[in-house]
Amino acid sequence: MDFLKSGLKTVLGAPEPGHQPSGAEIVERLVDRVNNSTLLEDRRDACRALKAMSRTYRVEVGAQGMDTLKQVLELDRADNETINYALDTLNNVMSPTQFEEEENNPRVPMNIGEQFTEMFIKDHHNIQLVLDLLDEYDFRVRLSAVQLLTSLLTNRPKDIQEIILVKPMGVSKMMDLLGDTREVIRNETLLLLIKLTKGNANIQKIVAFENAFDRLFEIVSTEGYSDGGIIVEDCLLLMLNLLKNNSSNINFFKEGSYIQKMLPMFNTPDESEEAGWSPQKVSNVHCMLLIVRTLVSPSNSAQIISSCQKIMKNVGLLDALCNILMSSGVPADILTETINTVGEAVRGEVTNQEFLGNVMAPSNPPRPAIVVLLMSMVNEKQPFSLRCAVLYCFQCYLYHNEMSQASLVQTLLPSSSDMSSLTSGQLLCGGLFSSDVLSNWFSAVALMHGLIENPVQKEQLLRVLLATNIGSSPVSLLHQCTLLLQQTTKLKSKVALLMLLAMWMSYCPPAVAAFLRAPGGVGWLVAQTCAADHDDNEFLLQGLSALLLAICIHFNDDSVDNYSKESLRQLLTKRIGMEMFTSKLSEVTRHELYNKAAKHPQLRAKVAADVLVDYEFCRLFKVLESVLVQSLTDRTQQNGTGSPTLERGSPESGSLEQYKTLIRQQDARLQELMAQLEGLLHQNQSLQGALNDSISANSHLKDENTLLKAQVSAAVALPSSTAPPSVQDDSRLQEYEARLQALDGEVARLTGELKLSQDAQRSTAEELERVKKDQDDLLELLADQDIKLNDYKMRLMSLGHPVEEEMSAAPQNLT
Amino acid sequence: MAYAYLFKYIIIGDTGVGKSCLLLQFTDKRFQPVHDLTIGVEFGARMITIDGKQIKLQIWDTAGQEAFRSITRSYYRGAAGALLVYDITRRDTFNHLTTWLEDARQHSNSNMVIMLIGNKSDLESRREVKKEEGEAFAREHGLVFMETSAKTAANVEEAFINTAKEIYEKIQEGVFDINNEANGIKIGPQHSTAGGASGAGGAGAGGAAGGGCC
Repeated sequence: MDFLKSGLKTVLGAPEPGHQPSGAEIVERLVDRVNNSTLLEDRRDACRALKAMSRTYRVEVGAQGMDTLKQVLELDRADNETINYALDTLNNVMSPTQFEEEENNPRVPMNIGEQFTEMFIKDHHNIQLVLDLLDEYDFRVRLSAVQLLTSLLTNRPKDIQEIILVKPMGVSKMMDLLGDTREVIRNETLLLLIKLTKGNANIQKIVAFENAFDRLFEIVSTEGYSDGGIIVEDCLLLMLNLLKNNSSNINFFKEGSYIQKMLPMFNTPDESEEAGWSPQKVSNVHCMLLIVRTLVSPSNSAQIISSCQKIMKNVGLLDALCNILMSSGVPADILTETINTVGEAVRGEVTNQEFLGNVMAPSNPPRPAIVVLLMSMVNEKQPFSLRCAVLYCFQCYLYHNEMSQASLVQTLLPSSSDMSSLTSGQLLCGGLFSSDVLSNWFSAVALMHGLIENPVQKEQLLRVLLATNIGSSPVSLLHQCTLLLQQTTKLKSKVALLMLLAMWMSYCPPAVAAFLRAPGGVGWLVAQTCAADHDDNEFLLQGLSALLLAICIHFNDDSVDNYSKESLRQLLTKRIGMEMFTSKLSEVTRHELYNKAAKHPQLRAKVAADVLVDYEFCRLFKVLESVLVQSLTDRTQQNGTGSPTLERGSPESGSLEQYKTLIRQQDARLQELMAQLEGLLHQNQSLQGALNDSISANSHLKDENTLLKAQVSAAVALPSSTAPPSVQDDSRLQEYEARLQALDGEVARLTGELKLSQDAQRSTAEELERVKKDQDDLLELLADQDIKLNDYKMRLMSLGHPVEEEMSAAPQNLT
Repeated sequence: MAYAYLFKYIIIGDTGVGKSCLLLQFTDKRFQPVHDLTIGVEFGARMITIDGKQIKLQIWDTAGQEAFRSITRSYYRGAAGALLVYDITRRDTFNHLTTWLEDARQHSNSNMVIMLIGNKSDLESRREVKKEEGEAFAREHGLVFMETSAKTAANVEEAFINTAKEIYEKIQEGVFDINNEANGIKIGPQHSTAGGASGAGGAGAGGAAGGGCC
């Protein structure tokens, strides 16, 4: 303070005796002096004094001097020293940090720097002034300008980013400073650029365009890669900013062959074991791992992920990462992040997954790296985050890869007789039934991922038998899971088993049948679903039980006598009720941890309590929820198809499958009716023929009859005229009469016959009418289905699901 | 992948003239009929051969909308070549060329090669700007001119490659200072140290695999 006072004396002249000027007064006089002095030296001295006061009297200097200082920046550009003082003063005034001088001053508001920043940037021209000063080669000026911009960006990042973006060459100027040979300026520029690029894609792209990656890699390599100092970390943080959620820059990074340039970062020299890892090296490698993960993050487009993964494999980056995984002396947090990174580097890319599956750990005897990782996952003593990472890595290893899923299940099947070595399947089974709740959860979820969209493995896993106690007969894995579900009191284990069973049994009627055969399963589910406990976790449990129950109904193939589709449906409607059921089901999606899990494939839990729901299960649930509710509530479904839809996929493909079966059945019925109709027509025709015959025979007989009658009357008339009637005539008459009688009988018989055949014809015509009507109805129904089918096809296509021609061919052969 | 030179391009011009489609046709050999507005700037890359030398083109496709004009200005300085595109079926896009050219000349380095492109040559029936007019404009301002169709791919390859040839010739003549990266030109890794070359070999395989999947 003495220095300050003496400085002030020289600037202001000796104070009046007896009057100690207040800080505000001094500031006012200084500002006045900067404004009005004609001599540059006087203005410079006043600026120096203002700078000295700006830490203690920040409010006063800012309030009174802001405009003046801006003026100085504009008018006194020729004098570097004055500019430097003005910049430093502004920087102090707008600094985001609290000075120790003002710690005990209650009049200084906490966000005073931000308030002054707001004032300063109201006029965009001010930013331009500072940007222009970056062109000044003078060390002090350039450094102060960079620092001032950094402060401004810290206080109001979004505003400053937008202002700088529209200033021509704004970003480019800052990029030029990265090439400054004075390291202090380069390093400060790095900090500035980190702030500048945060969350602004357009600035990120310009910075990348200005050769940022080249320059940053140059710095990283001259600083000694991961062994370098904090400057390496700053470079990597900037790269991370440039790449995060910026597909254009990721593309540029990939096309610019920068992935291979990361390789030296992960080269772990042999002597590192003795040297250990310095905290800075840990930070550096950690940042680099984050960059790798940004390139292959599941949130990127599939095309980018897959091409980056291929490059990582081809240039040996994946190999280097696996080496870190298997080398000793790696700090736990680096190991954890490396496991996550390896996971995302192989996720969904078959060759990379295969590569990871073939990595062997340098243990004795050598074991697959995957097995060693899983050993850590089911080991209570390992750090929580590491165990989560292993689960994620394993999930990535199984993701969209039927081969790795099959090989996991294979290790559990009795045929694999190699009992000497520990397998991943055995580890998971051990974890599933261990006393450690987290191991239960991890193992159940890991096993579940072996079944995703893989109906073959779902059935294969049914064959798995466990020897529980010595002497007792082996039990199937599913049976054991069902028992454990009823016995355990731990929420995590229950939820894990329910998720596993839901994944296993959905789209897999044999698994449903196996579950229904296990004792107590259905009863437990009904009891759970009906439970009236009011607690978020209980709600989740009830919802999951409801889900599993619905799966038991929807995917039921009626192969278990006691629990047919229909009897279970009645059980559900009577014991639980449809409304209750749907409301319980919807509780699942309300759970906080469900929503957390649904956001990202990686389980992002900080503590063990956050571990409850799995991402892939959320996806399954979303697909199943509507399908199940619809199938259970829809009445027409009841007497409908009967056979469960087995196809895995979206709800559309499920109901499409249903419609297809329906159409097939209707098709068959239509064919049957057509055949019947043809038969009836034929019969009708033959009857008509017979009828015609008998009619003509009848008329013939009538004619004959008339003729005979005429003959008879003639015969009667003849004897009367030729009386006396002779005995011969008499006998002849008798003969005729008898004949007439016989003919009368014949006519009556034929009339009866005619009536009979007319009746038959009428009934045939009626039958024909009815059949025709039936056919019309069916055709109408068919046209209806056709429209629906087309509709679903369109929807499927719009969802990107390929639609085979077979579906469109089905209706054609009906018409 | 190993390359002798790397050129940075930008594509500029009014909105909807087909800048992104030209890039897509050049890098992916496909055409997308739906106009998807470019936000800011998008990146694309491809390898070409000139004079037996591998040349990597890095192309920044800019947004044509006025709102992004200030952002796209930041890309002029570091580019070696620019494709200035107008739409032959829309007279106004041709009329705006002068503004674009002024902007480009003001912010770019003086050696930047500018290729004038009249796009959508497949829509002959709706043509509003005669080919001769484009040729005259190019002659007047010292530009190379070409009519293209991003839809049929006509002249698309040529547009990008001729621009590269022009830049390549300027390099041979010594006009460009190839050591100043601000010119938008970079010398490939095989010209630098041996250590870089081995890395580039591995990169080649990676680049090929990446290209195959696109």
